[in-house]
Amino acid sequence: MLYAVLDHVFYKKRQSVKPVNHYPIWFFHMDTGGCGGCGMELQALSCMPYDLHQEGFGFVTTPRAADILLVTGPVTWAMLPALKAALEAIPDDVRDPFGEQVQTEDVPKSTFKGVITIGECAINGGIFSENYAVMGGLEGKVAISIAIRGCPPTPLNILNGLRALFEE
Amino acid sequence: MDAVSVIRRAEPTPTPWRFRLNDTQWRILVQALMQDPLPFIGMWCDGQDVHAVFLETGSPLAITLALEGGRFLALSPARDVASLYERIICDLYGAEVLWAVDDRPLLDHNVWQASMPMGRCFQFGEEQKGLLRFQVSDDFSQSFSYRRNDVLEGWGPATGSMDSPFHVSAVLRNGHILRAESQIGYAHRGLALRWRHSSMKEACRLSARVCAGVSMAHQVAFCMAVEKACGVEVTWEVSLLRVALLELERVVHHLYKLASLARLVGAGLVANRCMSLREDILEAQVSVTGSRFLMDVCFPGTVILRKTDYIGELCHKLYRYVDEQIISLATIWRDYPGLGTRLTVLGAIPREAVMALGVEGPVARASGKEDDHRRIMPSYAELWRYTGIQRQGTGEDRAFLLFDEITESVRMLGKLANPLSTVSVVEERVCHVEKGEEGIAMVEGPWGPVFYWVWLSQGYISHVFQRGPEYALQCLFERVLHGHTMEDLPLLACSLGVNTAALDS
Repeated sequence: MLYAVLDHVFYKKRQSVKPVNHYPIWFFHMDTGGCGGCGMELQALSCMPYDLHQEGFGFVTTPRAADILLVTGPVTWAMLPALKAALEAIPDDVRDPFGEQVQTEDVPKSTFKGVITIGECAINGGIFSENYAVMGGLEGKVAISIAIRGCPPTPLNILNGLRALFEE
Repeated sequence: MDAVSVIRRAEPTPTPWRFRLNDTQWRILVQALMQDPLPFIGMWCDGQDVHAVFLETGSPLAITLALEGGRFLALSPARDVASLYERIICDLYGAEVLWAVDDRPLLDHNVWQASMPMGRCFQFGEEQKGLLRFQVSDDFSQSFSYRRNDVLEGWGPATGSMDSPFHVSAVLRNGHILRAESQIGYAHRGLALRWRHSSMKEACRLSARVCAGVSMAHQVAFCMAVEKACGVEVTWEVSLLRVALLELERVVHHLYKLASLARLVGAGLVANRCMSLREDILEAQVSVTGSRFLMDVCFPGTVILRKTDYIGELCHKLYRYVDEQIISLATIWRDYPGLGTRLTVLGAIPREAVMALGVEGPVARASGKEDDHRRIMPSYAELWRYTGIQRQGTGEDRAFLLFDEITESVRMLGKLANPLSTVSVVEERVCHVEKGEEGIAMVEGPWGPVFYWVWLSQGYISHVFQRGPEYALQCLFERVLHGHTMEDLPLLACSLGVNTAALDS
């Protein structure tokens, strides 16, 4: 157990990464009816050896606390109302870590409130194209901040895509 | 008269294991099934007929009933889990199910673009209704009492978790769940319609994406069903390659499951160790197979990998590495403060409950039901030794069973290393069928048997019915929630392997 704790704390890859110079961006994930592969890769991303938190990202369990909506799956008609509700629940304004309110006019909106699609399904339906139960992806229906392709994309592809948020 | 005798007295069909019943014989069968424990696999509809499959000493036994007048007698009074299939048939085909124990819509939330989309009375849906309230059953409504300060709470479908979406409505009394009902259908993609008249290549791609994490099991079961329909026999190399990939998938799946359990309990360190080991395996595996989830590697008659000639080396490498790592991982799991205690009080499932619902896979084995389809799969001959059995059926038992299964799978990979080291590129074989043929196959996936029934016509797929262990687990999940708190809900769903993406038949 002691070795496990030391391994965890002094994990070599973690030491090489410097702490990020910004406050975390919080994601709310929604599986809108896919096979679950993209969600599993996101889960892998949040654990060792990738460590999403060290990169300056985190997951929350309510859209009210989120900055960005991560969508996986081809968007079924049954999940569409929940997706709309989640998107509306994401706050327009953001606060810095010291509690001061930051006006949305000062911050690019696409950076702090937006939609990131992960996997082909969430973009255009992928293999699950439009039918009676499936709307078929968000491309052309909402403004997508970043679209990460792949079926499913690897954790490293997702991480590289998410890093693009800081490149603006 | 027992159920098998009733079935075998019915009209035979060109397929030796399928019999056509009339209304009277069907009614007698339902009555016989009330007393007979004949294992029920699943039921489905093709628009003309209703089909059901049972398992007679490991072999399939199927029945067919003409859907005359758009109605048929329910099997759910005799088999609880049949209720889910009946509700699906009702939603997709508009069939009326007489004497059904539950006639509420299951998949159709009244937001589809068409109602009864696969039935003869296909109708375009009306305008979108928005977020709808879950329609609970009458029993559920009656269990709610304002006098006792009961609370009605909902959970899902959007919870921020990485799992497939579903909703649970629960009546809470003194903070504990008195009764709970779940709503699925959020992940329904209309797979049955997509499979219909699809090409072999498209159908293979679909089978790989029914449910990630058990993708290989679905591909192998689909391909085996097609091969049986076509009368194709695969070579021993293909057979061994499939076994190796199935066991590889089992190891990776179980590590993911253990990591999810540990994370939900709050044991981040253990979760990270599990995921770290999983990533090491995937890193080694992807260079040989070409896919982290083993998608699009299995086709009728063949297995296509990026570097087939390295698979023996991969098996040997993983055997040496994982066998060593899993022991230390199990020790950390056992020693981690509070982890075992938390899981020991979670969802204890008695053997009787497992038998009553026909639950299969690790959940059943953790409750003492000896059930592993690998023992009768010919490709596992001389490989499969045993599957660990636990007795109490708690969350902790289920977790330790996964450790046992990983060890056993890794041992099998080690045994496969030598025979697979001589395998080079496997030639692709094309399956052609001129007239309508049907084939079925069952494969022991990571979370229980995966069953496919495939109908072919002129080289195309006519119908596909697939079913995994998730149907019975969904029913079990609702029942086991009693007495737990709402905070236990995601942990219990994870421990039982609730996965609504797979409930798309």
